[in-house]
Amino acid sequence: MSRSRVLLTGLIGLVALLGLGAYWLTASSGEATLQTSVSVSEAMAGDTTGYRRATAPRPFSFPADHGPHPGYKTEWWYATGTLSGPDAHPYGYELTIFRTGLTPPDEAPESPSGWRTNQLYLAHFAVTNGADEKFHAFERFQRGGAGLAGAQATPFRVWLDDWSMTGPDSSAFPLRLQAQQEGVGVDLSLRPTKPRVLQGDQGLSQKGPGRGNASYYYSYTRLATEGTLVLSGDTLSVTGDSWMDREWSTSALGPDQEGWDWFSLQLDDGRDLMYYQLRRTDGTPSRFSEGVIVGPDGSTQPLDRSDVSVEVLDTWTSPDGTHTYPVDWTLRVPDADIDLRVTPLFPNQELDVSVRYWEGFVEVEGSATGRGYVEMTGYGDSPGSPVS
Amino acid sequence: MTLLHRSSRRYLTRHPWLMGLSVLGVAIGVAVVVAIDLANTSASRAFELSAETVTGAATHQVVGAGGTLDDDVYRRLRAAGLRPSAPVVEGYGSLQQGDRTFQVVGIAPLADAPFRPYLGTGAGSDLDLGQFMTDDAALMSARTAEDLGLASGDTLRVGVEGTTQPVVLSGLIAPQNERTRRAVANLLVVDVSTAQRLFDQSGQLSRIDLLAPSDASAQEAYLARVREALPDGAQLQRSDTRTETVAQMTKAFDLNLTALSLLALIVGAFLIYNTMTFSVVQRRALIGQLRALGVTRGEVFRLVLGEAAVLGGVGSVFGLLLGIVLASGLVQLLAQTINDLYFVVEVSELSISTWTLAKGALLGMGTTLAAALPPAQEATAASVSTVLRRSTRESTLRRRAPGWAGLGLLVAGAGSLLLLGTEQSIWAGYGALFCVLVGTAFMIPWAVVGLSNGVRPLLGRVAGVIGRMAARGVVTNLSRTGVAIAALTIAIASTVGVGVMIDSFRGTVTSWLEQSLQADVYVQPPSLVFRRSTATIDSAVARRLRDVKGVEGAYSVRRVTVQANVGRTDLVAVEPGPETADVYQLKAGTPESAWPAVRAGPSVLVSEPYSYRYDVGVGDTLRLQTDRGQQPFAVKGVYYDYGSDLGVTLMSRSTYEQFYDDRGVSGLAFAAADTTSVDALIADMRASVAGLQDVLIRSNRALRETSMRVFDRTFTITTVLRLLAIAVAFIGVLTALMALALERRREMGVLRATGMTPPQVGGYLTLQSSLMGAIAGILSLPLGYVLAYVLVFVINKRSFGWTLQLTVPGDVLVQSLVLAVVAAFLAGLYPTWRMARSSPALALQDE
Repeated sequence: MSRSRVLLTGLIGLVALLGLGAYWLTASSGEATLQTSVSVSEAMAGDTTGYRRATAPRPFSFPADHGPHPGYKTEWWYATGTLSGPDAHPYGYELTIFRTGLTPPDEAPESPSGWRTNQLYLAHFAVTNGADEKFHAFERFQRGGAGLAGAQATPFRVWLDDWSMTGPDSSAFPLRLQAQQEGVGVDLSLRPTKPRVLQGDQGLSQKGPGRGNASYYYSYTRLATEGTLVLSGDTLSVTGDSWMDREWSTSALGPDQEGWDWFSLQLDDGRDLMYYQLRRTDGTPSRFSEGVIVGPDGSTQPLDRSDVSVEVLDTWTSPDGTHTYPVDWTLRVPDADIDLRVTPLFPNQELDVSVRYWEGFVEVEGSATGRGYVEMTGYGDSPGSPVS
Repeated sequence: MTLLHRSSRRYLTRHPWLMGLSVLGVAIGVAVVVAIDLANTSASRAFELSAETVTGAATHQVVGAGGTLDDDVYRRLRAAGLRPSAPVVEGYGSLQQGDRTFQVVGIAPLADAPFRPYLGTGAGSDLDLGQFMTDDAALMSARTAEDLGLASGDTLRVGVEGTTQPVVLSGLIAPQNERTRRAVANLLVVDVSTAQRLFDQSGQLSRIDLLAPSDASAQEAYLARVREALPDGAQLQRSDTRTETVAQMTKAFDLNLTALSLLALIVGAFLIYNTMTFSVVQRRALIGQLRALGVTRGEVFRLVLGEAAVLGGVGSVFGLLLGIVLASGLVQLLAQTINDLYFVVEVSELSISTWTLAKGALLGMGTTLAAALPPAQEATAASVSTVLRRSTRESTLRRRAPGWAGLGLLVAGAGSLLLLGTEQSIWAGYGALFCVLVGTAFMIPWAVVGLSNGVRPLLGRVAGVIGRMAARGVVTNLSRTGVAIAALTIAIASTVGVGVMIDSFRGTVTSWLEQSLQADVYVQPPSLVFRRSTATIDSAVARRLRDVKGVEGAYSVRRVTVQANVGRTDLVAVEPGPETADVYQLKAGTPESAWPAVRAGPSVLVSEPYSYRYDVGVGDTLRLQTDRGQQPFAVKGVYYDYGSDLGVTLMSRSTYEQFYDDRGVSGLAFAAADTTSVDALIADMRASVAGLQDVLIRSNRALRETSMRVFDRTFTITTVLRLLAIAVAFIGVLTALMALALERRREMGVLRATGMTPPQVGGYLTLQSSLMGAIAGILSLPLGYVLAYVLVFVINKRSFGWTLQLTVPGDVLVQSLVLAVVAAFLAGLYPTWRMARSSPALALQDE
């Protein structure tokens, strides 16, 4: 009997061991794996080899140049405007669509799929509500394939999902801007009241030291604007003035440049003033800062760093305490009898998107009155704009 | 510890082999039930988990009429401002590294983060968008990559429907939580563009994921906006709909496995009943003394049940452990079967649910206690004096045998009523099966008495007095032999039943294949799901094959999944030729009316399982989702088809092309010209498409053989269950005979003392065991036939809607008979050996 009992115990033990073994084998270990983090914008930056560079002035050709230039890494269609509603409150908007090449043009992928593309589109849409001092900003990404986002010259159309800038068949103007998200939207018609301005040297805008660290850049500094603005579901009829910039490049900023302050001011005397100040890492303005004054008749007077002085009178810190921006300036161009005090409609016009920057509606007083937009990048974030 | 408990413990430990075997019986019974349940749950959990993970946060989906959706629909949704929304292109691919099947999911990384955040496509991710979108690049679970020895930058060779394509491993997915980590183990994430190329579906998506607001009225408004943006053919559905329909596919299959697994437990219950009866009978004297000493009936009752609870408890615990071991083997078999029949599922591990284990333990304990109830009552009910005499019990049992048989007849009759009273319930079918089994078990003692008495003269003539004694012994020890024979009968009968069912099924499928495979050469792309291949033959391959010299006729088949008003439907488009009417045997409708209608326009035939599953027949109208919106199709006939238990709807190719934009072909059948040999034609065909898609080109016979191989593979689990039930029965017979032998030590002592030699005693016992086996074998044949009948005509019909031809193969019957006798013979060996060796004096001293 006792031998049988030993045998039996052994049998039972074996079964138990098998069961436990199987359980341990099947239950898995909870090992953690590290996840590193790099931003989408970094994926968009990178090597410039294989792209064309803006090295010399070039003849512009329209309407073709309203369309995309896929040989260059980066390009944008940029519109801002200051508007007035039926209640006389001021409103502002920004609609910018960026294009960026993920790989150089000659490496453009071939695929039977329409979704395969090396073109990435990014767009920002912001509305400044002067009536209740609220600022709304949105960001979108989309591939430039499968008809989801893209740009074309004729008929002019730049779009990302349902945000778009479209022109009639033959030209870009009157340009229709449409964007809407979360109860905030614009549907505007833009008609230039001044001729196109080629910035820099016949449209070649040097941004940093070295050949090719430049962009092709032209602007429409004043476009009569009318249409509708949607705010929290209410549709308002609005009129005002817009500004449109077109720029494409492969690399612009030098390594010691950390950002820029860009002013586009429309003065009530009919003049428009554009000035951008590239900031070096030590905080001083770069020698590549430049600008232009556009007369009421469209005549232009280029400005360089020595022509302009900008003084910061006050700063504003974002609610989370991470970004501090100038928000009150004096801007003087002594040669043009310009001495302006520039203040935002309200300070909080920061776009808290994948790369944070400040872009807002400003009011102008002093030697002339007016309105405009100021853009500031590189304050407390990694250097460069999302598309640098 | 009271005297009573001590006596109980002493008794249990004094009979280790008997108790051990009983525990083993319960353990195997519980193990089989638990293993099947675990395997089932693991497979469905694996499927659900991967489906849930791939669905992600999506609340709704837009799907197309067929398997795909024009990607213009996505553009429309985006242009209508419907965000978030994410396109998905999915399918399956096999990876050469590790020979594994992966679910390939094509996503749009810029739109995907709200749906599948764990893929790390959102802000702050380390995904190299440039490479992911512009290269053929894939992401894979970090753990899987480690298992396969792969690192970022390695080139994967992904096989899809016979074409192998290189894809760069561009990143690793390492979700935060363990559950998701497990779910992504078999995922290969690629860009939409890469997926469209891999699956050769440019311009097509599998679906669009949407995230509707949770607030009811906001959701309604949102869904209305979506519907407004959708063209004809595109459909909006809740995202769990698809998972549900897929889970529904295997419902009947799972249920049948569960029911079969219970069979082993039922046989195990007989074992416990046997052991407990034996323990009561053997201690009749002790119980009588205890009762005489003033121990109450209640205490005796509790004592017996308590012992059973110990056996059941120990058996259940071992059963659970054994079940887990068994399940890790069964789960791969099950996954293979599901892959052959229904859909692709990769079960990488067993998910052990507490609920399954609790169910198993409860079932084990419950069955044990229920089986111990009659012996416990027996011990309690008898008056003090009769408990002391076993012979009284034996004679009472013999007297009552016809009464028991009558009761058995009633139970079996109730089972038949259950069958007649229900139409569709599979559980009722199994309930009836159970009633028949239990009813038969009640009839067995009576049958044993009759049969033993019947063969006594015969055995007497063959083996003299020993033969007569052997036959007589079976009857005089009816309380023991009856149960043993019942257990063996039921076990053998279930193997006969399941065996005959599989054979009938096989026979039916064989003749159906002969009927339906009439062409000479069949071409298919390799497919992961054998029975429901929706893979597509490359159009260049199809063209070349049709042009091969010696091809006389070519017919295409297209198989897609579409949405019908009744549910998800496998749609088959064929080119009806002059011999088509022979290929499809109609169950309802006539070839003369059906085929012209199918050729002419929007008419369909449905397969028998489809007709049964969705209750559609000739004269009904099926509404199918097509690329032209939902369209009515008249059902003109029901045909026999054993290819898919999900059912199929068949239309002509011309009708298909009229209603669907798809021009793909899933299979081609060729007739060889009279002057061409089929083998030569196949060789020519292979040569003509060499270097292109790796399609399977097979002769009629080869395809038939492959089909039968898959058929046999899908029945592997059933066969395993059948063998396990036999194992339990074998243990049952072993315990019963052992109990019997131990109990009769004194009788043997007397026999030896009166001059019988050890070989004579051995011969006596062996003959008796074999006789019991033979009785069980004979009784199991009619019972097995009844079971087979119920399985074929009730269970299969109710589960899958198939009409099968019941064929009774002689070898299954002979095998069963031999099995029964051999089992009983072997089971009798050990007690015989022990008894023959025992000293008669010692045996007699016991008194």
